[in-house]
Amino acid sequence: MPIVLEKLSHHYKSGPNTAVALEDIDLTIQDGELLALIGHTGSGKSTLAQHLNGLLEPTSGRVLLNGEDINQKGANRRALRFKVGLVFQYPEHQLFEETVYKDIAFGPKNMGLAEEEIDARVRGAMDRVGLEFEEMKDRSPFELSGGQMRRVALAGVLAMQPAVLVLDEPTAGLDPRARDYLLQDVKRLNEEGTTVVLISHAMDEVARLATRVAVLAHGKLVMEGPTAEIFVQQERLAQMGLDVPEAFKLALRLQQEGLNLGNHYRLSDIADGLAAAIKGGDTA
Amino acid sequence: MMRDITLGQYYPVDSPIHRLDPRTKIILIFLYIIAVFLVPNLLMYIPVAAYLVLAAGLAKLPFSMLLRSLKPMRILLIITFVLNLFFATGTKKLLQIGGFVLWQEGLLTALTFSFRLILLVTGSSILTLTTSPVTLTDGLERLASPLKVIKFPAHEMAMMMTIALRFIPTLIEEADKIIKAQTARGADFETGNLMARARAMIPLLVPLFISAFRRAGDLAMAMEARCYRGGEGRTRLHKLAYGRGDLLAFLSILVLYAVILSTRML
Repeated sequence: MPIVLEKLSHHYKSGPNTAVALEDIDLTIQDGELLALIGHTGSGKSTLAQHLNGLLEPTSGRVLLNGEDINQKGANRRALRFKVGLVFQYPEHQLFEETVYKDIAFGPKNMGLAEEEIDARVRGAMDRVGLEFEEMKDRSPFELSGGQMRRVALAGVLAMQPAVLVLDEPTAGLDPRARDYLLQDVKRLNEEGTTVVLISHAMDEVARLATRVAVLAHGKLVMEGPTAEIFVQQERLAQMGLDVPEAFKLALRLQQEGLNLGNHYRLSDIADGLAAAIKGGDTA
Repeated sequence: MMRDITLGQYYPVDSPIHRLDPRTKIILIFLYIIAVFLVPNLLMYIPVAAYLVLAAGLAKLPFSMLLRSLKPMRILLIITFVLNLFFATGTKKLLQIGGFVLWQEGLLTALTFSFRLILLVTGSSILTLTTSPVTLTDGLERLASPLKVIKFPAHEMAMMMTIALRFIPTLIEEADKIIKAQTARGADFETGNLMARARAMIPLLVPLFISAFRRAGDLAMAMEARCYRGGEGRTRLHKLAYGRGDLLAFLSILVLYAVILSTRML
């Protein structure tokens, strides 16, 4: 279910001022890929995310899902939202039910599914994000830890079994362990066939997960390509106030010292390269 | 849905009216309201309206902004006009349709009351359009501070108002975000009967209240961390001071009074 953005622009109006949030974005989200959307705060990432499931209507341009304009008259936006799941920043702030079970069931219930199907989906979603069903289902979501609450919120979206999952800074404010769990979940989902759009500030995260990266700056799409090709352009990224992954910096430093392992941006790749270099006794 | 709510309607441009001391503007609006009630006949609304237009012009407010402030009043305006039109009796018949008689006096009172309402509402909206809520409460605090003598908690009132006003946009933003998040999970806020809609508000209201309480707690903590302990002996960052514009403003309202009162004498 590819999503195609065509000349997408979005302007916010406030009082006498108009702010341009997005301008002429052309971007295609392929089936099964894990696309990372990076950019400085205020570059328009979140605005872009909200166009993917029709929460915001473009000022101009189109959003095509499977070749159909999602904003045309008569389009079923509700059905669309079940296909493109959006997890907002700090999604735990949207929890409202008395129990974890009921909260996760909210989405499937809105889809009008049968009781047994809802039950199966809640179990499936909880299992997927590593929440013990029997132990957690009757607890109040408000007595959980921050990391657990976020997993409940994520399960609430996963239970709708969307074909495309859009995550807006899913790891913000989580401790390293909760972050690793969550990223593993995301990775596994993607491997099982869900298309993922990941909005993130953390370049190491992007390097670890993304197959492709799109860079936004001041509402414009400035760079786009396979992860390795984007992070090579360290200087351009720095100009936009963006960093490169720590691993990549290490690889560059090693290169300066005369040990060329190639442009690696994953720590594990560098480790392998180093191991090979040490064993071989010679540099590649 | 949330975009229709314009509580803080401050119109941020730079103008002589925007720069006036908030106290001047509050007193002026007060005097202006009295002036509107002092107007003896329909004709004398012209100088009052001229005063209003002048103020709006100086404040660089677009005409549409003033019209928008009248929008919530439109039903009240129509009722006022119609009631006065048909339920007044007088001496000079203008028109008779069946049992209804339209008297000249009726028409005049209807027009008088409608104009009065329009002038009052647009006049006070100039105050809120040209004064940011924080400045406004600042002015109110200073104006009310003499009442501290009789134990009126002027500072506490102003602080509460400032905090409440400060959080309106935050809460609207928060509500907007939660609405979107729940809509993304297929929530439907716009269709169904009254009960269904009321029930649909639960996924919005519960998170909103929780976040409001969390924010209130955080704010109290932050204020205490900065040693806030009430108004006693507190100095301020922006001192209010009257300037030449304020003098001119007071003079202008005197002129308006002179015009209105002179015709009352005649």
